[in-house]
Amino acid sequence: MADDKDVLRDVWFGRIPTCFTLNQDEVTEREAEPYYLLLPRVSYLPLVTDKVKKHFLKVMKAEDVEEMWLEYEGTPLKWHYPIGVLFDLHASNTVLPWSITVHFKFFCPLVAKKLQYRDLLHCTSNSVIEAHFMSSIKEADALKHKSQVVNDMQKKDHKQLWMGLQNDKFDQFWAINRKLMEYPTEEGGFRYIPFRIYQTMSDRPFIQKLFRPVSPEGNVHTLGDLLKEMYPAALPNDGEQKRYQVVIHGIEPLLETPLQWLSEHLSHPDNFLHICVIPTPTD
Amino acid sequence: MKPIFSCSDRGGGPGSEYLDLFMMLPAEMSWMLDEQSFCHCCQLLLQWSQQLKDGWSWEGVQGSEDGYLRKTVLRSVVIDSSPVWDLEGSGSQSDTHTSCHSRPDQQGQETEQALCVAPEDGDSVRGDIDDDDDDDDDDDDGVCTVSGGSGQVLQYEYHILFSCSYGTPVLYFRAVTLEGRSLSLEEVWSSVHQNFRLRLQQSPLNTITLQEHPLLGQPFFMLHPCRTEEFMRPVLQAAQNQHRPVNYVLSWLSVVGPLVGLEVPLKYSTLLHPAASLGSTEPD
Repeated sequence: MADDKDVLRDVWFGRIPTCFTLNQDEVTEREAEPYYLLLPRVSYLPLVTDKVKKHFLKVMKAEDVEEMWLEYEGTPLKWHYPIGVLFDLHASNTVLPWSITVHFKFFCPLVAKKLQYRDLLHCTSNSVIEAHFMSSIKEADALKHKSQVVNDMQKKDHKQLWMGLQNDKFDQFWAINRKLMEYPTEEGGFRYIPFRIYQTMSDRPFIQKLFRPVSPEGNVHTLGDLLKEMYPAALPNDGEQKRYQVVIHGIEPLLETPLQWLSEHLSHPDNFLHICVIPTPTD
Repeated sequence: MKPIFSCSDRGGGPGSEYLDLFMMLPAEMSWMLDEQSFCHCCQLLLQWSQQLKDGWSWEGVQGSEDGYLRKTVLRSVVIDSSPVWDLEGSGSQSDTHTSCHSRPDQQGQETEQALCVAPEDGDSVRGDIDDDDDDDDDDDDGVCTVSGGSGQVLQYEYHILFSCSYGTPVLYFRAVTLEGRSLSLEEVWSSVHQNFRLRLQQSPLNTITLQEHPLLGQPFFMLHPCRTEEFMRPVLQAAQNQHRPVNYVLSWLSVVGPLVGLEVPLKYSTLLHPAASLGSTEPD
């Protein structure tokens, strides 16, 4: 079990080296240097990019500044997705550092079509991020425990979860989160596993459905079982070359891994297992 | 054991949309819809909507069995341009949501100014005590007689999706001007009738937040479903006690719809209870 606790730390402290560059079309008073930052996989962009904003605002005139939004190779980055998910989904298997372009103007020919999504690209305050984060935690607990554990917590416990994430305090966070990871021993696992499967091959943002960790006959469900049920295209056909990678926190867990274990150890702080299905690189 | 609530069609012959209601009450006494029953309730609602010309349609998602109910409504609204909500720092939209389990912060109300406007079908705010003779026409285009602010025609789009996490329907909606500009949360708030707005602010029942549409990926406003089971419980319990048929989605819609200007004509109930409309009743 000592090894398993290490996994929790490894997940929490995962970082992605990132280089932020200002969009060339922004009107600046002088040249802007790129800004380098190690981004926490488990956090959210607006929570950790204040320094980036300050750095680039120094070269901008106030009247040219709308809201800061971020883009990678023409894909605007949604603020409410965990950073690690955005990276795994859009920039896996590319050379580090992750190169993100910073925008301050909403109109940008490159991504014009995507600007209908502008409301998903920036958020107005940290309390909006907190609300989103807590909403995910509550939804995850609705699936795991019919909301009983999260509803029995006091408001200060909820606050501690958020503060732990915001301030990168592993122990503070897990002191409360461990309660959300418990289940009655006779059950063998949570009621349903909170998960989302992301892909970029279609418009649908994610797949999320009910799925039990243990079958009615008592068989332990694996990652492979989940994919077979929810996204069979992700699995290789017999003898065929693997067309897709199934990535969680930047790694490809074995398909035989029990889903309950993944949910307890590889979930994000929002208590969801975020799974990215991406095309296998052809090199 | 998974709680199941289902409304099944008794079947047989034309005009037999009469519902037979059976449900398995779980030990925990919570009423949750499963996806199949949700679809079934939607299909029934769709049939009635077609009869009443209420404008609902079913939209499928390519490559899956998933889908949602959809309706668009043109509405002439007077929007006061003064801000309803101080989103800077106080994040009142989030305050009212994180207080799903406690009283909302009243901060947002302090900055609220005397505003705006009911949508023209101001009848909707009276909920179901409605004279629905005018309701057949979705494209209501009268104008409110509130002074101040400018009138514009907006297209509201409403989607009903299923939340498997909460076992309830969820209402998503957005509003665009005729030029295609999306309304902000502030502007949307300002078109929610003042009475309801106050109640929404104070009630932990529902909060409007901006979300990514789970099937389309576009930004939509959503009424949060986490309290749906709570307010549906007495409705369903009463129906069971009185051996009355009930369509979960329709009952739910008649509660949440008016909060955001979506009207549910009373005539639906006559389609749901054809026996009642014939005057046959059972003793309680």
